[in-house]
Amino acid sequence: MKKIILLPLVAILSACTGADGILGSNTVLIEEGGSEGKAVDAIVRDESSFNWSDLTNPFNKASNTTQAGAKAQAVAELKASDTNFVLYFSYDGADIGDKATQEIIKHANFMRDNPSVKLRLEGHADERGTREYNLALGENRALSVKEVLGLYEGLDGRIEVISFGEESPIAKAHDESGWEKNRRVEFIYQ
Amino acid sequence: MKLIKPFIVFIALSFGAAQAVLEVTVVKKDEDAFPIIVSHFELTGKGAQDKDISKIIQANLERSGRFNVVIPDIIISQDVNAQHWKHQAIEAVVTGSIEQQSDKIYKLSVSLFDVYSNKQLFTKTTRVHVSGFRKVAHQLSDHIYEALLGESGSFNTLLTYVTVTTDAKGDKEYRLNISDSDAMNVKSRIKLKTPILSPVWSPDRSYEHKKIAYVSFENDRSEVFVWHPYTRRKIEKLPRFDGIASAPSWHPDGKSLVLTLSKNGNKDIYSYTLADKKLTQLTHNPSIDTEASYSPDGTQLAFTSNRSGQVQIYIKNLSTGKINRATFEGRYNAKAVFSPDGKSLAMVHRVDNDYRIAMLDIKTKDLSMMTDNELDESPYFSPNGDMIIFATNRNNKNLLSVVSVEGNRSYELSSQTGEVREPNWSTYLEK
Repeated sequence: MKKIILLPLVAILSACTGADGILGSNTVLIEEGGSEGKAVDAIVRDESSFNWSDLTNPFNKASNTTQAGAKAQAVAELKASDTNFVLYFSYDGADIGDKATQEIIKHANFMRDNPSVKLRLEGHADERGTREYNLALGENRALSVKEVLGLYEGLDGRIEVISFGEESPIAKAHDESGWEKNRRVEFIYQ
Repeated sequence: MKLIKPFIVFIALSFGAAQAVLEVTVVKKDEDAFPIIVSHFELTGKGAQDKDISKIIQANLERSGRFNVVIPDIIISQDVNAQHWKHQAIEAVVTGSIEQQSDKIYKLSVSLFDVYSNKQLFTKTTRVHVSGFRKVAHQLSDHIYEALLGESGSFNTLLTYVTVTTDAKGDKEYRLNISDSDAMNVKSRIKLKTPILSPVWSPDRSYEHKKIAYVSFENDRSEVFVWHPYTRRKIEKLPRFDGIASAPSWHPDGKSLVLTLSKNGNKDIYSYTLADKKLTQLTHNPSIDTEASYSPDGTQLAFTSNRSGQVQIYIKNLSTGKINRATFEGRYNAKAVFSPDGKSLAMVHRVDNDYRIAMLDIKTKDLSMMTDNELDESPYFSPNGDMIIFATNRNNKNLLSVVSVEGNRSYELSSQTGEVREPNWSTYLEK
């Protein structure tokens, strides 16, 4: 059990240390991780934040936390724990950088700890360019986040991806100060 | 090319309750615009008094930018004095009469007189039902345009566009509207709290078959719908696909459409036949492929793709299956549509930080800039290929702009109460 989880984790953390932080295919990254001592160190650090007992028996906690109230409280605790619920992207980009990957790992851990929560990833774009292309771009951003989360066993089926393109901006300014806030993926737990 | 004082057209004819009417502003007219008199029509009978459709014809000709319309204070009789108008440098005179014959039926007679040849070019006499005045006015405008310029007009056609209003609480309402080509006779039956995108008229000429495909987020994700506005006002939803469904565009036969689907997350273009619900994948590429648009003969498909790492237009030859890149200038070219003659593409082109409308000659690869705005989108040709309608942004508000392909004429359609976007222009309607 431990080994199965460890492999994708190596993949993610080695990606964090990579030059551009873009996640490629699973297999390639695992090979890279295995050859770099740095990545292994990172795993040891991150292991402590994992609640391994929950993972070996996912039902011991989940059965008691299925109520909406408990879920909402867990999400509120995650929010309070300095975790970003919005990730931002470069112009026409859908790549996940190092910092974003760290945030996604926090969400992955949270989903492991709370097996009853489902995640909706909403992808957005800024107003520049065409609406239909931006709809596609917004979905690519959300799919990039899902790709990272999907490296963790059992999370993929609990994640829904939606794109609103440029239709739902959070910042109104028609310049980079607004655009940089609108190129985003939002984490919405259900 | 000269800038003229905005000519505001605001016709409130009492028939056909208009709602959310757009304001039409003529911005630029042809330097050599054709000087024409369009006289008020002679009205006979009580019911005829508010049916002077000469106003619709005046506004149509003026808006095209190809006419200088002169409206005399007095009604000109159908017996035109050519010598008099020649001295005033007028080249043609439109006169007409409307006579009430029964409760709902009127006799209409309209003549076009050519001053230089001193000849009547036509007289059209017809009986009109009270509900048909606007259509007749647009048909007459097309006749006048063609008789004087030797080209088809685009007046007897329809527009569709999305309006967005925001209430005091900040909540938005999106409306899918249809109107005549002059933005009058507005019908907005689809009203939602969620975005509406990409409405596009089917190429059918009869009202019975006319449909609008569009994208709606009403079920919390982008889905494609087909609205039949004239037959039972039916709305059909395409089957639910995984991921996004968007960017619909009709095949010239009106029986199928192309759309973008992201099955397995990969955005590719598919064709979907309405009758048998058959889905055929047309592009297979791990990049974004979207915004497909058929050539008028249905043999080619233009689409947006970022397969080169930049956003560019590609054309797929549907008989050979071969895909060729069409745009090479700039790093961002998107949402291309074919001109009615199939020779050009209008598209959104990025210059520095601005998004403008550009036109590509497909054969020579010449790209000409149609606008110098900051945030233009959604270009579409008028059915006669003479003008391009698109959405632009001014003072942080969307409005529609219409420019001639030569760039020498333009007008705008704006809303006092909100934003206007996503325009699309129908093909010609049945006579």
